[in-house]
Amino acid sequence: MAAPWLRARERLRRIPEVLAGCRDQAAAYGRCVAAATAGRAELRKDACAREFEALRACVARAVQDRGAGITLS
Amino acid sequence: MVAGVVSRAAVPRFLRARSGCWRRHLWAPSGEAAAAAASSSGARSPFDRQLKRKQKNWAAARAERGRSDCDYLRFEVRPLCGAERTFPLALDVGCGKGYIAQYLNKETVEKLVQVDIAENALKTPMETEIPTVSIVADEEFLPFREDTFELVVSSLSLHWVNDLPRAFREIHQVLKPDGVFIGAMFGGDTLYELRCSLQLAELEREGGFSPHVSPFTAVSDLGHLLGRAGFNTLTVDTDEIQVNYPGMFELMEDLQGMGESNCSWNRKPLLHRETMLAAAAIYQEMYGNSDGSVPATFQVYYMIGWKFHESQARPAQRGSATVSLGDLAKINFSGGKN
Repeated sequence: MAAPWLRARERLRRIPEVLAGCRDQAAAYGRCVAAATAGRAELRKDACAREFEALRACVARAVQDRGAGITLS
Repeated sequence: MVAGVVSRAAVPRFLRARSGCWRRHLWAPSGEAAAAAASSSGARSPFDRQLKRKQKNWAAARAERGRSDCDYLRFEVRPLCGAERTFPLALDVGCGKGYIAQYLNKETVEKLVQVDIAENALKTPMETEIPTVSIVADEEFLPFREDTFELVVSSLSLHWVNDLPRAFREIHQVLKPDGVFIGAMFGGDTLYELRCSLQLAELEREGGFSPHVSPFTAVSDLGHLLGRAGFNTLTVDTDEIQVNYPGMFELMEDLQGMGESNCSWNRKPLLHRETMLAAAAIYQEMYGNSDGSVPATFQVYYMIGWKFHESQARPAQRGSATVSLGDLAKINFSGGKN
């Protein structure tokens, strides 16, 4: 049984591959954050919660499709 | 903090010569000074040096095991190019695997002493034609007498030093008069994309943020620090190296492989996966290149400082001028004869 930190590292290493399939959602989230910080606006918690939920859902779907054991917490 | 005091005083420093086959155990005399410095507040010692040593040892051992080398930056930054003097004895502070030694030749440096905090890096040194001696020591507590070296070099290791003024003073002390210190260190804008992405992601996801990228010296402070340590005729120059990565996670993996992971005392031990995902998305969107890769900026400060010697040029005394600027109009420029 591999050590727990090795398993965690493996899961982390798969995130970029999974992220590649969710470029649109990631870009939308990034744009939302960039817009929220533009000018003198302050970024608040969950300012872009909707876009992040979409990104999270996309990643969860991609992970399920791949059968990888990543859970986001 | 207390644990750090005990272990640093007890660590033996050993001296190993490359060209011979003898070994000697050398105890650094500054154990008490080390203890005093370590027990000071977090403001004076932001970095956990024991952890940095473990990280560098891990990185060096990882490269040995055949995992890909991440030290391309150390090959890129060469602080000693173009030196025209011959230095009989030189010191390399924070040498890693001896990256500087491999491009030195016998005309420039006759003998080199290499110092690093991580013994694994010293065990697998680079090929070089000059005789070297390797010592395990901390950059802030150099175990050498005053006026020992004609040249001290340091490449990309001083940004993890806790007390930088003290490190510069120690370097100034071990230099001979008319000796020179040539250094390169990360500063200022290094990894600002990573810092900003993580900060924004943590703000948006968790409502607050803590520092994940270690603090760097500003270039204006560097000149003052060198001057206060006693160096003359300073030169400070900055250069930016931009390296493109497929994404934020690859960048962080490479930083770990370089032994450059965060070791600040105030670092947050946990980074949520959600936050990392958010940061990767922000990094890509705000800083990403058109081909999908992301850039990481490494700002390098190059510095040169000399130890005072009578032969060096000095500003003239006030009132010793023999010509006046008002005479400038009287100079005859015709035909190049004057």
